Amino acid sequence: MSAPASDNRIVYENVSKFYGEVLGVNRVTLSVPPGITGLVGPNGSGKTTLMNLTAGLLRPTRGAISVLGQTPDHPEEMFRLVGYATQYDAFPPGLTGFQFVESLLRVHGFGRVEAEELAWKAIERVNLVDAAGRRVAGYSKGMRQRIKLAQAIAHRPSVLILDEPLNGLDPMARAEVIALFRELAAGGLHVLVSSHILHEVDLISDQVVLIHGGYVVAEGEIGGVRDEMEEQHPAQVLIRCDRPSLLASRVFLHDHVVEARLLEDGGLLVRTRDADRFHLLLNEVVLDTGLAVETVLPTDADVNAVYEYLISNGGKS
Amino acid sequence: MSDLATPSVSAAPAARRLPWGHLWRQSQAVVRLELRKNFFGRRGLGIYLVALSPVLIPLIRFLKPGSLADEPAAEATQFFSFLYQIYALRLALFLTCVGVFGNMIRREVLDRTLHYYFLTPIRREVLVAAKYATGLLVTIPLFLLSTVAAFALTYLPHQGVGAFLLDGPGLGHLGSYLLVTVLACIGYGGVFLLVGSLFRSPAIPALAVMGWEGIHFLLPPLLKKISVIHYLQALCPVPMSEGPFAILADAPSPWLSIPGLILLTGALVAISAWRLRGMEVSYEEE
Repeated sequence: MSAPASDNRIVYENVSKFYGEVLGVNRVTLSVPPGITGLVGPNGSGKTTLMNLTAGLLRPTRGAISVLGQTPDHPEEMFRLVGYATQYDAFPPGLTGFQFVESLLRVHGFGRVEAEELAWKAIERVNLVDAAGRRVAGYSKGMRQRIKLAQAIAHRPSVLILDEPLNGLDPMARAEVIALFRELAAGGLHVLVSSHILHEVDLISDQVVLIHGGYVVAEGEIGGVRDEMEEQHPAQVLIRCDRPSLLASRVFLHDHVVEARLLEDGGLLVRTRDADRFHLLLNEVVLDTGLAVETVLPTDADVNAVYEYLISNGGKS
Repeated sequence: MSDLATPSVSAAPAARRLPWGHLWRQSQAVVRLELRKNFFGRRGLGIYLVALSPVLIPLIRFLKPGSLADEPAAEATQFFSFLYQIYALRLALFLTCVGVFGNMIRREVLDRTLHYYFLTPIRREVLVAAKYATGLLVTIPLFLLSTVAAFALTYLPHQGVGAFLLDGPGLGHLGSYLLVTVLACIGYGGVFLLVGSLFRSPAIPALAVMGWEGIHFLLPPLLKKISVIHYLQALCPVPMSEGPFAILADAPSPWLSIPGLILLTGALVAISAWRLRGMEVSYEEE
């Protein structure tokens, strides 16, 4: 994700945002390609600031942002390209779900017939047709999330920015919404999704940007980020079997295994610099010794482990 | 789904071919949305009550048992002049403009809904102009109605009202009051639109403006010229005594008052638009 500025990317050039003396984000340089990009970090890490900067709701203190070659200085062009479902759980008062989506399409400049047609299509996409005639104020949290999403996609944007879009959704709705993100991304959209729930982003993202304390600490495909750090941060695998001591003695002979620790509960925790080779080795040991393996559990192969590792090592990738 | 996934550039309205038509459509959409949000529900109730309150006093006077019929229409002229200039203009219309125009932007920030506008491809200047127009569309008809109703209820019980209206200055007075009403909505609307874009809460600056307008009669002639009431008062058909401490100044001519007030308001709306153009959305700081 370090290509030069392009009309097909979201480009951040040394972007900083300060609120007085408080840091929002600092020296962010990124080039985001089409597909789903997950923006991950704990609360207060700068995710929303970065998204608001991308959508032009905030102006950078330093640096520049362009979205597919457009900047917020020309809203007539840029906001046709961008749809943004913010984290703000607030809606214009007194409107039904349909009125909410349709009214803002009219502000875009669409005529009545076209706005109504687009509004219904978007509402259908988020499965909210039955509730579209009810006031948004009476919606559940999940319904409010979905109507925000409908509003963000209704004008058919090329860039979709979603701040914590899965908050408040039940499992069924989450699955539907994730499928929608994938569908949109498959159609060539840039989908920028933030979450502090790392597992979510791991599931849906083509690439991730890890942010902490206003700094981007890592970026790229999640697997690539994981590979880069494997040398310094071996993978951990927990094995539960009938003879953990035997297994420990066998695996410890191999140089990629840096630690094999017997746990009090009878498990064996292995740290290895090469997870693939370790799994082959484990298969060999089982075949050789007839070991009865109950569980093999990678304890840090997800984005959470990557994130914990990166921020605990100074926040620089 | 495929149509939603299609990039939007080709699907967007043809702003380049018809910029004025496009801006007009966007403005209409903002007006419609603003009316729906703020004036067609319970939110608008307080504004309607205050705006129509000038009718109550002549209504009570009208319903009061007694013989107003014996009094000449000239009595009513003094009564209405006082009612209009002191209550309707300086209080009811003033406070309504604070509520309507002062909250046009501030309320969006408090409700955390301003970003919905900022994320549409509308120029912020157009957004401000459309919001201002919405305020005028609400306040002008309300106060025209209120003024006509109060005028009618004031004169109706008096003898010779027909002659006063048809052969005398009655209709001319009414026309002047209606003109002042329209100009007051335009002028105070511009002032409070700007106040709402500059201050977190319009209440304190509104009190300051009210104080300034209230002591207008004590101001030296030069300072009188930067108060809205100075121009409005000059257009009222019946002069009102300002007491023994008033500093007298020449009343501006209508040919100066009307374009002057409109130009001043245009400048205030332009400053509001400039403010909004540079505005960021960061509700956490509010």
